[in-house]
Amino acid sequence: MANKNRILSVNDLHVEVEGKEIVKGVSLQINSGEKHAIMGKNGSGKSSLAYALSGHPNYKITSGTVEMGGQDLLEMDATERSLAGLFLGFQYPMTIPGVTVVNFLRAALRARNGNGIDMKNFRKVFKEKMKLLKIDNSFATRYINDGFSGGEKKRLEILQMVMLQPKVAILDETDSGLDIDALKIVANGIVDSAPKDGGVILVTHYQRLLDYIKPDKVHIMLDGRIVKTGGPELALELEAEGYNKLEAKESQKVGV
Amino acid sequence: MSTLTLANKNKRFRGQNQFEPEALYSLRKESWNCFNDLDMPHRANHLWRYTDPKVLLANNPSELMKITPSLPDQTEYNLISLDEAFSGYGYNRSDYMTFAKLTPALEKSGVIFKDLLSATRENEDIVGKYLGNLIGSDFGKFEAMNLALWNTGLFLYVPDNINIELPIRLQRHPSGPNTFHRLLVVVGNNSKVTLIDDYSGECRKEEAQINSVVEIFAGDSSSVKYLNTQRYSSKCNSYITQRTRINKDAKSVSVFAGLGGNVSKTNAGTVLDGPGANSQLYGIVFGDDNQHFDYHIVHHHTSSNSYSNIDFKTVLKDNANSASTGLIRVEEDALNCEAFQVNRNLLLNEGAKAESIPELEILCDQVQCSHGATISPIDKEMLFYLMSRGVAYKDAVNIITLGFIEPTIKNFPGELETLTRELITGKMEG
Ligand SMILES: Nc1ncnc2c1ncn2[C@@H]1O[C@H](COP(=O)(O)OP(=O)(O)OP(=O)(O)O)[C@@H](O)[C@H]1O
Ligand SMILES: [Mg+2]
Repeated sequence: MANKNRILSVNDLHVEVEGKEIVKGVSLQINSGEKHAIMGKNGSGKSSLAYALSGHPNYKITSGTVEMGGQDLLEMDATERSLAGLFLGFQYPMTIPGVTVVNFLRAALRARNGNGIDMKNFRKVFKEKMKLLKIDNSFATRYINDGFSGGEKKRLEILQMVMLQPKVAILDETDSGLDIDALKIVANGIVDSAPKDGGVILVTHYQRLLDYIKPDKVHIMLDGRIVKTGGPELALELEAEGYNKLEAKESQKVGV
Repeated sequence: MSTLTLANKNKRFRGQNQFEPEALYSLRKESWNCFNDLDMPHRANHLWRYTDPKVLLANNPSELMKITPSLPDQTEYNLISLDEAFSGYGYNRSDYMTFAKLTPALEKSGVIFKDLLSATRENEDIVGKYLGNLIGSDFGKFEAMNLALWNTGLFLYVPDNINIELPIRLQRHPSGPNTFHRLLVVVGNNSKVTLIDDYSGECRKEEAQINSVVEIFAGDSSSVKYLNTQRYSSKCNSYITQRTRINKDAKSVSVFAGLGGNVSKTNAGTVLDGPGANSQLYGIVFGDDNQHFDYHIVHHHTSSNSYSNIDFKTVLKDNANSASTGLIRVEEDALNCEAFQVNRNLLLNEGAKAESIPELEILCDQVQCSHGATISPIDKEMLFYLMSRGVAYKDAVNIITLGFIEPTIKNFPGELETLTRELITGKMEG
């Protein structure tokens, strides 16, 4: 029987990109209210995992299962996954020329058919959330990410998350590119707005973000696999020791 | 190829009719001879590389010469009521009769707006000086044919120092299988006018041809906005030639919205003929089904210190195809000019095809010039980004498409911005 508390269940997921296996059997169980951190070397497949979970058509799932709140995510396209409550904060957010932030968010909320923020209150809520994340009002009428600085893009990702109120948010390196003050603002935004019974996956390279958002679990990914899972202390360990020790152990296991 | 042309060679022009003054008749006759003397444009000629001229040539020109405009019916004229959003309204009926009406206040101020036939009779001093001056029979075979055969025409004259606040609206419909429209606009010094030149309607016969010529003369420090919308039904083939000539410190804004028709070829542009002249040219084409669009856009700098900019966007869907050629020509003695052009094409599916060729003829060496062209399918990563926020695939495509044209369309004068947006949204949903 499935765990009632389980909000996201990933089982032995394999993902291929352009014919090459990048994610090589990842399992991840998240219970409601939990925050998990995924750390790992560059190129280890963290973003690929995030894309695959979100339904990016280039990231082909060759085997494994993913369930969110009892629903089979793999049956759904990216739109449906979002409507079911999944959110991806992009490591590299896209620029969409000619489409203003406010119009886009309105369209995204409208697609939810009243699920989430009441359209009548849209303006009010939107303004509040911008204020919360210290985003200047002028950003509302700018084109999505057009000419935004790295940190501004990341803040816009969080603004979208806050507005869309997902059940499960995967935040891919939302902390990189943020200055020290912005990191605090964004982290507080995440803590405040993450639904109490939902789940958050923080993909990050640094302890900094985890100082503000204490993870329930930390996973370390190497070469397409989660090679170690532990508590918050694992991140600190990693910060102190780097990946060398883990890598050595892994190569012994695989016998390379 | 030219059995028709050959058969018509040596065909004599018809006799003068009761309405046309001698000057008009001889201009028509002379143009008819030019038309016959000119060869059919060759497909190797760059202007005709993308569109087969035969599709646009009336197949019975000598029959067509018998169709001549008649003077507008006074009873109908009296019944025209002007929408208060406009300063004037002009249109042609399916029987080639053409009407034009202004607000009484403007009429008193000396502005003249009437059908072109009446103008050739009543305002010969102005018409004689300008008609065919920018686009005459030496311009090309199709233009010569128009000058010989125009069967519905409009004339607008704005004296010096008149600011016409509200736009003048022209509604041009096909009249029978072959319509030859002609518009002549003369704007005085320090005057201001906005024209909405709206081509629409059903073509009754398969592959009906429409040939339209628009000549606009703008005086010193004047400001002319010319807004051309083409939204014919799917059977119309049209060929539109348009030129605006602006003098010292005059400003021209031209907008082209190409949405309708079957085969549509447009040759449009501005001649910058005085220092301080400034021309902005915007275009949006949205093609679907099997539509074919061919826009040739020209900025011709004949004077020093003149400034021009072209911003042209094309969106194609289904099996639609389009060619855009943007020509910037700067004459040898036109120094210190600035001329920019950008042409971007968005293809919504695989069957759609676009070509984009910027052309530069820069004869002087003191000039600031830039051009850019792109042709690309809809960006998959953008699509995924929008979909990951819960927007459905089709809506995401629409959002990206509207975003693509947004930076251009927002420069459209308000009157046209709303209309174009509505038409494009309609086409996207269709
Ligand atoms: N679309 C793609 N085409 C080709 N290779 C890809 C693609 N996406 C990912 N890869 C490859 O898959 C591997 C994993 O990339 P991924 O972006 O998932 O790593 P990551 O763990 O997020 O790294 P980082 O910490 O640098 O963000 C890399 O070697 C990358 O080059
Ligand atoms: Mg990554």
